[in-house]
Amino acid sequence: MSIPSQRTGNAPAPGASPGAPAPAPSSPFRGLGRSFDAALARGLGHVTRRALGPYQTAIVRIGFAVTVLGFLLHEWPNRHLMYGQDSAWSFDMASRFAENSGAFTLLLWSDSGLWFELVYHLTIAAAVAMLLGWRTRAATMLFMIGVLSVQNRSIFMGDGGDNVIHLMSMYLVLTRCGQVWSLDARRRARRPDLEPTEDRVGIALWAVLGVALLAALVTGSVDSWIWSLFLGGMWLVHGYWWLIRRYAPGEPRVVSDIVANLVHNAALLVIMAEVCVIYATAGWYKIQGSRWQDGTAVYYPMNLDYFNVWPEVSELLSSSGMVIMALSYGTVIVQVAFPFALLNRRAKNILLVLMMGEHIGIALLMGLPFFSLAMIAMDAVFLPTAFLLWMGARATGLRARLTRRRPAPPEAPPAPAPAEQRSPAWAAKG
Amino acid sequence: MLPHDTAPEDGERDEGQRAEGKRALTAHAVDAVTVTETVSLRALSLPARAIIAVAVGALAAFFTWHMAAVFLFVSPSNTVREENFDRIRGYIYPEFEQNWKLFAPNPLQRDEAVHVRAQVTEPDGSLRTTDWINLTATDIDNIRHHLLPSHSAQNLLRRGWDFYDGAHDDEGRPIGERGRLSELYVHRIALQRLQDEHDMDLDTVRRVQLRSAVSRVPAPEWREEEIDTSTYYDEIDWWVVTSDDLEGIAR
Repeated sequence: MSIPSQRTGNAPAPGASPGAPAPAPSSPFRGLGRSFDAALARGLGHVTRRALGPYQTAIVRIGFAVTVLGFLLHEWPNRHLMYGQDSAWSFDMASRFAENSGAFTLLLWSDSGLWFELVYHLTIAAAVAMLLGWRTRAATMLFMIGVLSVQNRSIFMGDGGDNVIHLMSMYLVLTRCGQVWSLDARRRARRPDLEPTEDRVGIALWAVLGVALLAALVTGSVDSWIWSLFLGGMWLVHGYWWLIRRYAPGEPRVVSDIVANLVHNAALLVIMAEVCVIYATAGWYKIQGSRWQDGTAVYYPMNLDYFNVWPEVSELLSSSGMVIMALSYGTVIVQVAFPFALLNRRAKNILLVLMMGEHIGIALLMGLPFFSLAMIAMDAVFLPTAFLLWMGARATGLRARLTRRRPAPPEAPPAPAPAEQRSPAWAAKG
Repeated sequence: MLPHDTAPEDGERDEGQRAEGKRALTAHAVDAVTVTETVSLRALSLPARAIIAVAVGALAAFFTWHMAAVFLFVSPSNTVREENFDRIRGYIYPEFEQNWKLFAPNPLQRDEAVHVRAQVTEPDGSLRTTDWINLTATDIDNIRHHLLPSHSAQNLLRRGWDFYDGAHDDEGRPIGERGRLSELYVHRIALQRLQDEHDMDLDTVRRVQLRSAVSRVPAPEWREEEIDTSTYYDEIDWWVVTSDDLEGIAR
């Protein structure tokens, strides 16, 4: 830098002008400690005071509820063949297998047909409750239990989509995903001063689940210590929450709220990180494949018997080497780039659109609708708040238009905007 | 870790929060109407802040552990993974198991069908061996031109056969309990389909034999690649049908 130019003696090199020494450039590290501290304090304020991403967690909740609900209803005629008493993967075989793996499933507690129907239909009910945000915390818990029960009963029935659902059903339990777009939020908004003692439904639900849990523990149906701890712990936490609201509304309540926010935010971060792991793994392994390198990869799954749902369309797409190559390279680029694109809002949003578009294509072309729906539900965690608010407004408008046709119910004031709809400052940036 | 340890930057706070900061100096700063969203951490008592600090620390540690385990589980074999794989496995299995090598490193490039033939007892007591029956063809029929194909067509037989394949060594010997379960599974699937889709009376079936029929997908026409697309068959041994095989599936 400071070596004077050899070619023209006239042009002084920067910083070497004679007579007037340039002021020393200020260190880029100046004040770093202070601003780091400030950022840390600010960050801590964010993750303690609020359960971040209320709309994002709500859309993920709704997305997975719709996916599972759709799946269970769609497979309803095949349920015995896939998970019940007609399964080639018999109760005894599944039990022998689960003994080794330790997988959690209610469906191996009893081989009675009635029990199977109960669990299957309760899972459907849990998905509906989660979709509507009715007693969201309990609903997510039952949803997880149901999803794990069904999937772990016949583990060779699933694919990548089931895998995503399996993981997200567990992560969602730890989030406050019913802050908006839920019956819970509507109830809170309508009766903000509802005393804990007046919440009879909540108390009854808690009691019923407590009895069920106790029965499961006493009979030894739940025999793993970690599940006993988790299920029992979650149940106790709900009881504790009620007590705190009733008897200690001051600091204990605020501290409990903060801890719940922290757990929510950590779980939200896990969900986001899991999405990155999924795309990074899918992308980086593809880079190593010769077919992804020579630009023919997409042609093959499209032409496999099991995934060639619309041969006419596959043939059309397969006829152009350029299209296949663009799709192959595009897939790899988008998947590899995704985690890095999160650093830039605009790049992230563009990639989200591309990803969701690709998943819709996969759903139709390869006959994987529920896989694609699960992936889109998962991607939705990165949707910008502004878009989600717009979508919510559209949905509300649509509902208003649909309900206006019918004779208006005499006393049904439109739901006032839930308190949480005031979006936090960070979210406004999207 | 505690917020009061860090230098407060006045520019970062609005008036309300600053006022709350002052309020923190008085006792009983947090009352029944305090909302978490506006609370200042400095207004909380020392035990309260200690609980929050512990929660932050524990969650940060658990988050790091969980994501590290997930990362190492899906990563290729490497130094850290090899050294800790037992611990990672123990944590990930069974509920956090995951596989995201979706069509990677290379997509599957061959169609694999499962065929079955049966040795049945005729009414006169003689034995007859049926022709090979393509079980996968039924799956394909149930997938093609369906907007919402069922897992029972897409995954049941396909993944069952993959399970069988993976639970047997190169000589076709079963590996442990998984191997034996996978044998039982694929034969039960075959028997069930013979009954449900090919109207066979399972009481007459003495033995069944399975084979895989593998053929490579031809290269796209715009590629100059010579690919042998003929079908290769791989038969496994005859399987004597017992009552275990029929339990729950025979009508």
